[in-house]
Amino acid sequence: MAAGGVFARRGVRLAAGLVAGALALTGCGGGDESGGEGEKITLTVATFSDFGYEPLVKDYMAAHPNVTVKLRVTEFDQHHKQLATRLGAGAGAADIEAVEEGYIPQFRQSKDKFVNLADFGAKDLAKQWLPWKWEQSLADSGNFVMGLGTDMGGLALCYRSDLFSAAGLPVERDKVSALWTSWDEYFAVGDRFVGSGSKAKWFDGVGNIYQAMMNQTPYGYFDTSDAYVGDSNPAVKSAFDKVAAVANKPGMSAKLDPFSQQWNVGFKQGTFATLPCPSWMLGLIKDGSGPENAGKWDIAKIPGNGGNWGGSFLTVPKQGKNAKEAYELAKFLTSPDSEAKIFQNVGSLPSQPETLKNPAVLGFKNEYFSNAPVGEIYAKSGETLQPNYRGTRDADVRPVFGRALARVEQGKQSPADAWTQALSEAGKALGK
Amino acid sequence: MRGRLDRHLTPYLFVAPFFVLFAVFGAYPLLATLWMSLHDWHLINGDGGFTGLANYSELFADPDFWNALVNTLSLFVISTVPQLFIALGLAALLNTKLRGRTFWRAGVLVPNVVSVVAVALVFAQVFGRDFGIVNWLLGLVGLEPIDWPANVWSSHLAIAAIVTWRWTGYNALIYLAAMQAVPNDLYESARLDGASTWKAFWTVTVPMIRPTILFTTVVSTIGGLQLFAEPLLFESKGASTGTGGSDRQYQTITMYLYEKGFTLFDAGSAATIAWVLFLIVAVFALINFAVVRRAVASR
Repeated sequence: MAAGGVFARRGVRLAAGLVAGALALTGCGGGDESGGEGEKITLTVATFSDFGYEPLVKDYMAAHPNVTVKLRVTEFDQHHKQLATRLGAGAGAADIEAVEEGYIPQFRQSKDKFVNLADFGAKDLAKQWLPWKWEQSLADSGNFVMGLGTDMGGLALCYRSDLFSAAGLPVERDKVSALWTSWDEYFAVGDRFVGSGSKAKWFDGVGNIYQAMMNQTPYGYFDTSDAYVGDSNPAVKSAFDKVAAVANKPGMSAKLDPFSQQWNVGFKQGTFATLPCPSWMLGLIKDGSGPENAGKWDIAKIPGNGGNWGGSFLTVPKQGKNAKEAYELAKFLTSPDSEAKIFQNVGSLPSQPETLKNPAVLGFKNEYFSNAPVGEIYAKSGETLQPNYRGTRDADVRPVFGRALARVEQGKQSPADAWTQALSEAGKALGK
Repeated sequence: MRGRLDRHLTPYLFVAPFFVLFAVFGAYPLLATLWMSLHDWHLINGDGGFTGLANYSELFADPDFWNALVNTLSLFVISTVPQLFIALGLAALLNTKLRGRTFWRAGVLVPNVVSVVAVALVFAQVFGRDFGIVNWLLGLVGLEPIDWPANVWSSHLAIAAIVTWRWTGYNALIYLAAMQAVPNDLYESARLDGASTWKAFWTVTVPMIRPTILFTTVVSTIGGLQLFAEPLLFESKGASTGTGGSDRQYQTITMYLYEKGFTLFDAGSAATIAWVLFLIVAVFALINFAVVRRAVASR
């Protein structure tokens, strides 16, 4: 059977890591002690999906002939886990590493492994970003700048206009937006949709809905002083109860895990009519649904308040030899000009007020989504959204509540039992 | 003089690479892991202070660890036992005068060389809830579709199917090699005594390849206790935390290690799990070893 199983494979990976590390060491050993002008250096940028950097990097290399930039793209979870092990090992990390919002609190605990970008004058750039985006990158009561903000994930609600029309619901995006201001109203429209006898379900799965709701709260499992409030914050309980009530209700949830293969199949087969969609998800929806469903999706306002889900930061690990040059490149990649170009190329929503007012951004329409004015929709959502504070140990607790709702969705537990188990698991994870 | 030195030194030089590699990739990680397990060790920040056996007592008091242990043993039993029986039958078939023998013999190894990621993707489709082949077949005979990852038994069956599919051919080839070493005259005399093919298989083939059967049992045990890739990839992509489902229904010990170390960055606890797993595997290996010795001696 699995002869040598994990350990053999991990050995191989470790060996590869060591070799890569050795190569990196010898590669950099050529005389970058002085770090002076005109010296040939190589900078690696590690991201976890298409950040749209390729054309920008070409421009940068043309303007800086001594700099070669390499892009390294890995899958989301693997990217962050690799970064963690490489920081722990002290070798192998790229010169610039992207860190997603959800992972920022975890890595903030290891800020000593990163360069304080304030040392290079990053604080002068603060005004470039929306204030909450800038604050997310800070540690040490504002003295430590972990990274420069890339995109953000303003929330909207994507819906299938063909399924809406078949169910007798309005299809025009302003009218759809007018159907709901709260999540309760959204679920009530869901009842109407289910009542119409549609074969499709109302939304994709509890995972996405709950995540969106939690991202609309000012703080979730931890208050802004970082104390655990998962068991006492009424916002958590209210979101949990609302989602749990519809999780196993017939016709409501397609019961799909976001980002899973089954989820992609669901897009293609049209098994659900709506889902909350931060701007970066549009690409996934398009890829999953395929060309045969072009023009069937449209975008409306999210129920509840504005909210942010996702978005990343470019950090500079300390182990890199060319921190200053890496910072300059990160600064370039997150400049208002670059963010506007990236939005047009790959659709990542800029996190900067100036860029959000850029006519090229505001006027941008997405053909696949029935020509929805995505620039306008998301720019508006970005300016009005209320940021969500994530505690240092958020990653220990957040999945626990997600799994509890999955158990309700799978019909394995009642909402009350799932909540009780979630609280005890969260307490255990925090060592209480 | 030089010749003698060569003769004395060369053998050591030839075996040295193994010991160097073992020291780097075997002994060092083992000892470093032991050291880490005695500390409060953060994956990135490193040593957070000596804690003695606190990690171990925490682990033994942790219901999630026992859950993972039970899952591992359950998956081990339902994937290894049928797998070895099927492999034995397959090897017997491959050992007959088949048309295109080489093709079939090479063919059974194909599942083993296909990337496990591809295998997991395919099986996720096979066991899909809404559009999976298995549920479609169940529907043909009038049964309700099953949400395979959602329940303990169904997730274990599905994962066991992946493991069995991947490793049966590999074991079959090992059995086949052993079967080809069985002297033909034994079969001839069995036939003269009037034994059927079925009877000859159980009274000649199986006893003759018993050491090989025990070998595959040992290797399968060690592999089965470390079962990792198949159940991890059975998790949906968005949730690859190593938790093994909404209620840890298919979390194995190595997945628990992965969750602790690489999702929660608690390397100290992960190292503790690694060492406990090492000891469990060592105990199983010793039991196997004793059985092997007795079996060989009894021949």
